[in-house]
Amino acid sequence: MAVYKRNYAPYSGRLTSRWPRFFILTRYSYARLFQSRFLMLLISLCLVYPLGCIAFVYLSHNASFLRLINFRGTELLSIDGRFFYTFCVVQGNLACLLTAFTAPALVSPDIVNGGMQLYLCRPFSRAEYVLGKLTGLFLLLSLVTWVPGLLIFVIKSSLAGWGFVRAMDWLAGGLLLGLVIWVLLLSLTALAVSAWVKWKNAAGALLLGIYYIGAGFGTAVNAVFHTNLGSLINLNHVMYVVWADLLRYDNGSETPLRHACVVLVLASALCLWLLSRRVRGFEVVK
Amino acid sequence: MSDDRIIFDNVSRFYGEVLGVNRVTLSIPPGITSLVGPNGSGKTTLMNLMAGLIRPTRGRITILGIPPGRPERLFRLLGYSTQFDSFPRGLTGRQFVTTFLSLAGLPRRQCRELADRAIDRVGMTAAADRRVAAYSKGMRQRIKLAQAIAHDPRVLVLDEPLNGLDPLIRAETIALFRQFAAEGRHVIVSSHVLHEVDMISDQVILLSAGYVVGEGQIHDVRSEIEDRPMQVLIRCDRPGALASRAFQEDHVVEAQLLSDGGGVLIKTRDPVRFYRMINRAAIEGAIIETIAPADDDVNSIYGYLIGGEESSR
Repeated sequence: MAVYKRNYAPYSGRLTSRWPRFFILTRYSYARLFQSRFLMLLISLCLVYPLGCIAFVYLSHNASFLRLINFRGTELLSIDGRFFYTFCVVQGNLACLLTAFTAPALVSPDIVNGGMQLYLCRPFSRAEYVLGKLTGLFLLLSLVTWVPGLLIFVIKSSLAGWGFVRAMDWLAGGLLLGLVIWVLLLSLTALAVSAWVKWKNAAGALLLGIYYIGAGFGTAVNAVFHTNLGSLINLNHVMYVVWADLLRYDNGSETPLRHACVVLVLASALCLWLLSRRVRGFEVVK
Repeated sequence: MSDDRIIFDNVSRFYGEVLGVNRVTLSIPPGITSLVGPNGSGKTTLMNLMAGLIRPTRGRITILGIPPGRPERLFRLLGYSTQFDSFPRGLTGRQFVTTFLSLAGLPRRQCRELADRAIDRVGMTAAADRRVAAYSKGMRQRIKLAQAIAHDPRVLVLDEPLNGLDPLIRAETIALFRQFAAEGRHVIVSSHVLHEVDMISDQVILLSAGYVVGEGQIHDVRSEIEDRPMQVLIRCDRPGALASRAFQEDHVVEAQLLSDGGGVLIKTRDPVRFYRMINRAAIEGAIIETIAPADDDVNSIYGYLIGGEESSR
């Protein structure tokens, strides 16, 4: 039997803490994403409406401006549930558009041709991989959804005083929770689609299809079967129901909140299941 | 002893109804071990099991005493280079190695140092700051090898590492494997190129349809294939006389005179008795120039153990 002499020195130092390791993926995703001028343009466009809202909130508290337009009422436009519901609808749809352009390239290049093995043949789990990619998308979408939403609330509070904060604190919580749920749902859907659809353009189109063709299909189901259960196929509508409830605004929907919540949970679970089937370190060739 | 070996204890892995590997029991010592078998024989499954990418459906695996279910400990010991040419987009060779070291949990400064060392070791320093997408196939193989060896693992699992390398780089890479083996590491290699396997391996594991059909040192594996007569090539001064003498032995099944008239190829079922006969012939005055086994290589063993099964499919 051969006798081997060990004369090398493997790395034996301390490892970094495990929990923030998934941020490495987030960091590298951003390094690539922000090289795209188109993406930067799209993000800028997504911020036009919030900037308009901020300007409006500021001007509605600016005495010179109110005198200039000869306004004599108590408030130019009330910053309430309806205002933030509209904000959620506009920014939520823009976030969906942004996702369709950015997310398809997040997972599929790693899965195509067995690239997942590279990530998983080290102390890095499938859950951490998904978390790393999800965080990248979550932070990007946050930038155009709840972050500017809360900024508007803060600016309004600073102009209107503590009375507004005390009376409307639920509004900030509802806005944050509603948009975080939406961003998570969008991110999960996008990752699942990206994991299963290899071609970037097809994945983007499918993502838009899920959110917008679902609306048409749901309406058709409602019309044919004289029901309102078809609206549950429409993830946008489901989210509107949740936003309306959280922001205490009546949007005229007849869909019960509990149905909407069940649909959101089922959709998220389906996305996670699809990811678990695809994000793995081996491929079965039958 | 098991702390220095890769142990597979009655391991099976099924992908639903598809068989990956079945009832594999192995004890792999340090050195270069080659996994040999046709496509779909279970080589990559075996490597994925070692790397903890998949769990066995049945059985137990330990890598130098550590089960693959403990990744933080396992991946200090193990480096894996997959057969796939898939790299994260936009990264340079250096970023590629550094990123995957940091994913393994190494601090940033160590990542840079170890990446530089590994890149230098595979001869990629000059191209390290170019994007991987612009690399040739051989360069991609080498940068993958660099990420596998960067943290100086004791176990290297390399799936088809010699594919796409030009002869010079191939020779350098084989020399690197030999160096790793000489340092006491396990180098597990899969390859389709049998003469290369023959050249570099300390031991081979032959797989067919998910089963291990032979394992050990090539010579030992050959000697256990008893249903195939061993072929011995003898170069001597009187091949005709040697052939006729050989035919008097009941264990000799065939003797072929070589076309150049300078030797004879003899097939025997009992190598021990055969070599005794050659000794006697030499003592009695036959001039024997060389005696060499003609089918004591991976190529022949592959043909005996797997070739028949493949052709019968």
